[in-house]
Amino acid sequence: MTKRTRALSGASQDAYFRRLFRSHSSLTPEERDKIVQLLRREIAQLRLRRKQREGDTEAAREAIPTKPAPVAETAPARPADVEPAPAAPRTEPATAPFDPFSINVVVLLRTGGREGLLGALESIDSADNLRLLAREQRLSVGADLTSPAELRGAIVQAAERRVANRIAAAS
Amino acid sequence: MTQFIAVSNRKGGVGKSTIAVMLANATAAWSQRRVLLIDLDTQCNASLMLVGGEAWERANRAGHTVADYFYDRFEKVAEDESAYVLNNVGDVAHARTAPGRVSLLPGSQRLEDIQGELLLKHSKKDLHADAVAVQVRTRMKNMLKHFGMDFDVVILDCPPGLSFAALAALALADHVLVPFRPDFVSQFAMDRAAMLIERVETAEQLAGIPIAERRYSCLPNCLKGDGHERLLIEQLALDHPVLKTRLPMLDSIARAFDWDETRKTMQEKYADALPHLRSLHDEIFRVPELLAKSA
Repeated sequence: MTKRTRALSGASQDAYFRRLFRSHSSLTPEERDKIVQLLRREIAQLRLRRKQREGDTEAAREAIPTKPAPVAETAPARPADVEPAPAAPRTEPATAPFDPFSINVVVLLRTGGREGLLGALESIDSADNLRLLAREQRLSVGADLTSPAELRGAIVQAAERRVANRIAAAS
Repeated sequence: MTQFIAVSNRKGGVGKSTIAVMLANATAAWSQRRVLLIDLDTQCNASLMLVGGEAWERANRAGHTVADYFYDRFEKVAEDESAYVLNNVGDVAHARTAPGRVSLLPGSQRLEDIQGELLLKHSKKDLHADAVAVQVRTRMKNMLKHFGMDFDVVILDCPPGLSFAALAALALADHVLVPFRPDFVSQFAMDRAAMLIERVETAEQLAGIPIAERRYSCLPNCLKGDGHERLLIEQLALDHPVLKTRLPMLDSIARAFDWDETRKTMQEKYADALPHLRSLHDEIFRVPELLAKSA
């Protein structure tokens, strides 16, 4: 069977494990964090199957992108003399990788204010991507935050602190 | 009219000397102007890049460095200072038609000590230390200005930190080029440098000066081409004039640090960095204050 996998690392890997462990109610939040930290030290990259079998955990399903990119118009035509590959299972089309630098958080905060930044962050609906954006832009957000709304708020606050720090340093 | 360009950043390791030498070579080669580089950095890297270790050591022994110049001539009226200057330096072959070449007032490791000595020498009981410091800096500025008589462009390679020599250079410069590596602390360094150059005390006062009217410009250097660098440059550009030129981290620039006796063309010396250097040269000499001076 052909495997189609998606690589997770860093913040997105942590988020995956957190969701996975939440389904085990016997673990306290502290224990979950401890295990996630341990796994982060031990595992550099996680490859997640895109096509999930029945019975997989809820968390694993959540980690799969829910908005596949349209492909119909951009799919290249197959040459006529090439036989279609038999028995290849249908797989979900790959989504374009999220660019964590697509939004300059600090610039948006300073030019558009809090509301302007929040508006721009609304366009990112995945918690993994929001966490990735925060990490790559060196904005500190709480490890316990999971909902996109919470993460957006935390990103705005971190950006405000960044700006305040710079103003303080210049005074 | 002579154009004074300071290459400065209080932060070390941002490429000041390398850029000062590149700009000196480019100005001599492409603008056909008489260029003097004054090495105010006690590391003397620009001097070593332009004349090599042996010639720099000879200048030191002969007492022909910027430190000697300040010390020997501090209390004298302006006279011929050419003895301190090494002409036709560097390993770039410029056109033989004068005056397109580079000269150097070599740096000295003793410059910091000499600044202290000058301060002590001119201290008076009835004069506050700050007032003496201002007098010393002002005199140093005027001594640097004196070289404008013989050159079209004077490039002042400033040391990191804020020595008297650095402050004198900043006060004299028509334009200050501030190279920086885009990282988090560079923003702080740039904010402080900007206030110093524009002679204001607060960020609010600095913000009151339109970016287009600032006396300095920032040059992103040593770029690796990642997204985080781009973000920081965009953030910096909200508060400071940032040149369009971007200097990537290139082997050809790192190699240009090495001096050797074989003369070479600009193309041979700077190789794939040449378009970036051309862009820097063109952009620098288009800045309003320099344009006004050359008009």
